[in-house]
Amino acid sequence: MQQLDNQEILMKLKASKQFWDIKKKIKQGFNEQLKIGVNDIQKFAQSCEIEDQLIKLISHILKKSKKRETLKEDQIEFLNTSKIKWTELLFKNLDIVHQKTKNQEEDDTNTDSKLYIYDEKNLLAFLQTFKQQQSNSLYQNVQFQSNKLLNINIPLKSSQSILDKYQYLLLQEELQDDKINKIRKQIENEHLDIELEKIAQNFVPNGERCLLYLKYFEFDHQETVIQQNFAKLQKECSNQLFYDELLEIDGHEISEDTFYFVFQEQILTCLKCFIRDKTIKENIRIQLQSGLKKENTEFQLPVAGFFPFKNISKYVAPICYLSTKIHIIYALFKEFFCRYFCFLHSISSENNSILALCMQIEEIVSTRSPKLFHHLKVIGSDTLKLIMHQLVYCFIGDMDPPHILTIYDQIIGHDSLEILIILCVGFLNKYKPKLLLAKNYENVQQIFSELREDKFQELVQFAYKQ
Amino acid sequence: MSEYFRKYIKKEHYANHYTNLKFKTSFRNCILEAFKRRLWKETDGDDWDIMWAEKEWIHEVMDHTHLQPNQKINHFRNHYELTRKDLMIKNLKRYKKNLEREGKQEDANNYNFYPLTFHLPSEYPIFFEEFKRQSQNGDTKTAWIMKPIGKSQGKGIFIFNKIQQISQWKNTLRYNQDNPQAEAYIVQKYLADPLLIGGKKFDMRIYLLCTSYQPLTLYLYRTGFARFTHHRYDNEDITNTYVHLTNVAIQKTSDNYDEKLGGKWNLQTLKLYLMAKYGQEKVAETFYNIQMLMIRSLQAVQKIIINDKHCFELYGFDILLDAQLKPWLLEVNASPSMTSNTPIDFELKCGLLDDVFTIIDLEKVLTGNEEQIGGFDLICKGAPIKLPINSTFTTYLGAFNNRQQQLKKIAKSTAIRLAQTYQETQTKAIEIGSKGQKEKEEKDKQMRSSSKGPQAMQNGVNGSNKPNNLSKQNTIMKRNTTNLPALGAVQNKSNIKRQPLQNAGQQQQQLQQSQSNSSKKNNPNEDSMLSANQKLQKLTQESKINQFQPYKQQSQYNDVMGMGSRNLQKNEE
Repeated sequence: MQQLDNQEILMKLKASKQFWDIKKKIKQGFNEQLKIGVNDIQKFAQSCEIEDQLIKLISHILKKSKKRETLKEDQIEFLNTSKIKWTELLFKNLDIVHQKTKNQEEDDTNTDSKLYIYDEKNLLAFLQTFKQQQSNSLYQNVQFQSNKLLNINIPLKSSQSILDKYQYLLLQEELQDDKINKIRKQIENEHLDIELEKIAQNFVPNGERCLLYLKYFEFDHQETVIQQNFAKLQKECSNQLFYDELLEIDGHEISEDTFYFVFQEQILTCLKCFIRDKTIKENIRIQLQSGLKKENTEFQLPVAGFFPFKNISKYVAPICYLSTKIHIIYALFKEFFCRYFCFLHSISSENNSILALCMQIEEIVSTRSPKLFHHLKVIGSDTLKLIMHQLVYCFIGDMDPPHILTIYDQIIGHDSLEILIILCVGFLNKYKPKLLLAKNYENVQQIFSELREDKFQELVQFAYKQ
Repeated sequence: MSEYFRKYIKKEHYANHYTNLKFKTSFRNCILEAFKRRLWKETDGDDWDIMWAEKEWIHEVMDHTHLQPNQKINHFRNHYELTRKDLMIKNLKRYKKNLEREGKQEDANNYNFYPLTFHLPSEYPIFFEEFKRQSQNGDTKTAWIMKPIGKSQGKGIFIFNKIQQISQWKNTLRYNQDNPQAEAYIVQKYLADPLLIGGKKFDMRIYLLCTSYQPLTLYLYRTGFARFTHHRYDNEDITNTYVHLTNVAIQKTSDNYDEKLGGKWNLQTLKLYLMAKYGQEKVAETFYNIQMLMIRSLQAVQKIIINDKHCFELYGFDILLDAQLKPWLLEVNASPSMTSNTPIDFELKCGLLDDVFTIIDLEKVLTGNEEQIGGFDLICKGAPIKLPINSTFTTYLGAFNNRQQQLKKIAKSTAIRLAQTYQETQTKAIEIGSKGQKEKEEKDKQMRSSSKGPQAMQNGVNGSNKPNNLSKQNTIMKRNTTNLPALGAVQNKSNIKRQPLQNAGQQQQQLQQSQSNSSKKNNPNEDSMLSANQKLQKLTQESKINQFQPYKQQSQYNDVMGMGSRNLQKNEE
């Protein structure tokens, strides 16, 4: 962990409104007393009941002053080697994709528009290979008799604790106007992470969401900086990259979505800037691919440090509802990706990683709905195969934007992707009766190709239904 | 009929049962589907109860046709006063002037929601003056839009900013005030700063249902659309119609038009988006202004449109928001498109039409005082309806469309109310029956001997209350069933299906019964609607069927009800 110097801590302190409020009180309290000790402050804080606030403020500043470093090495060794393998695999895919685009240019009739380096199915297939690897290396003498697709020995939270954590969502009701106004004022005046998280956990009025996110990511006073950085990146976009072509192809899918077609251009611009943004490497919480340089490949990883994958556009799309300014959209997307979504594409044993999320879902479904779990396995459409798309893309495209943004609120509120576990379980429970009637994979496909409408609150309720 | 109404309301309680209703339409899109979903029957003849006609039919046929009291049609006779571009502007201008003359300056100022418009060729000189004035002010960028009056779907529309650009148009049509052949156009100042989303221009299609002009009764549908152009907006390039015109018909011809997509958002999505930039209050104000704009447009023509209880009209308002979120009225469509390009669109339009039919209430089950029916909210009845001060909303336009839940609720309460009135009428009948029993018996005898009209047969021969009660039931059934054979067939089947729900309804009914007339023994629970059919059969067989008038329909009815022709023969004898 890097430490900020005292000056920086003081700067951060001064940036928060609470600091000035407390300072004012302290000034009034001590009047013109010259020497003040720590004990005096403590006593005074106790006397005017600002002790809690003071502690919160100081811990907030401390938290902020520690800079998170990108996770490069995993504590489980075989995951580190797997990550290298995964990167190698993607380099191979890249070559194939490149070859295909070349062929397409020569032969106009063969227009395979679905070109991508990898998608969620590839990712799941790769994760599945772990089972054998690990059992070979670590548990040679132990016979696994699990029905689960993924059964790897990584530290996991108990699934009950996750279910308990989000149970409060069941009791949420629509708020009255006066309460909404109160929350609005709270967001306007609040600066502390913990308090903002609390608001996000419960209810965020539509009009205030952007402000809350900006404050949480500490962008609220940096609009000009954001704008300048974005303008720089936009200039760089004039140099065409091979990846741009892939992003354009990716954008076609989002252009077919009723809710997001309007933003096709903004999304593409954001992504083009994203793969050119050098700061991502420093800010991203986990390294997605090990940046091995292969000599015989024509391309290298983009500056951002990872390959653009299929449907990357989906992560930007809902954010377009938050602001009309493209630099704000970009800044929010970047932060969301670097803090959270990166885990959905990383080979890691972290709690937020796709591996852990998948295993949690399998655990919950197999214990709470064993019949469904078994049935899906029998008909060749495993639980994970079924919800992988929803999980990896946070239900974007499956729910309307307001519901997606509620998911984003929850992610911020708990600083975690665990809400996706709840929603995936709810999703499976919702379609359980239909799924149990399905006789093969095609039937399952048919169920989900029908017109359907999933809602956040509804899925949460289904998740807790026995 | 919305499925919930069919579910909860018992057949006997309908004033006019849905299986008796007939519709006529030449449309083969959502309209037909919506009709069919209500289980109404299609007819080609003149025996329709509701007709979804084309505008031309109204102009050509309606004036020469006498409509039956129960018949409903989807246009007012002179709807064009509002829905033809030139007349709408004329009426709005006139109404504004009248208000000014009456000294209602404040009200008059509210009529500022249409762009500066002139009728061509008749107002060409004034337009030319205005054009020159704007040019002299150095406002050379002002663009004007020409729209042919009689055409729709964006046909014949073009934009210009130099007077020479319409000289060709002038020559071909030999501009002359007296030339009757000159195609009439309106020319409007083009709104150059529309609100753009994702760099694209859009307009809104909002649905308003008018069921009466006296008093002005308006229902506003919560869901509408924002229709986007497929190209980025460019104020400089006025020749590219794809950029400027949002009509689906125009956009469909664009190279990159995507069938699946339709280029539409619903209003809820638009509202969500706008809130991010302008905040909740500003957006709420805008949507309220849109609602008021629509009410004001209708008020302007209220005295001009010929009110007719046979008519209702579903208007499609085209509204544009400018960059300051001010709504502008582009035009009002009398036949908004009811074709759909996506499954969601299809469901939305079918739902919309279903709610229209529920409001029209051919089944006569509603009170007429409902403030929300499906996705429609009553916004004006004589005067604009004000929502309670503590309400979260200033308008429900663009609010969550809870039509399913609302229909369920309204169907339940209607079912209870109808059951109650049904019970009351029955009780009254019983009271009358026992009071004037003797007199009626005598009358009855006389009637039977002279075998006169069916009313005389209403009262049972039997002295007891029960048959009396049942005979009343029979007459109600009879009144409800002008189309007897089909009813008999459907009724038997659906009665079996609806059993559990009817039981639920029955319980409520029982409760009310025990509260209101617990002392009346003549109203036993066994009179439940569930067994009404069986009882009817039993009774008609037991108690001489010749009590009922043996008209043709009755004989068909008996055939279906399995009573055979033996009884009939008896009657005829």
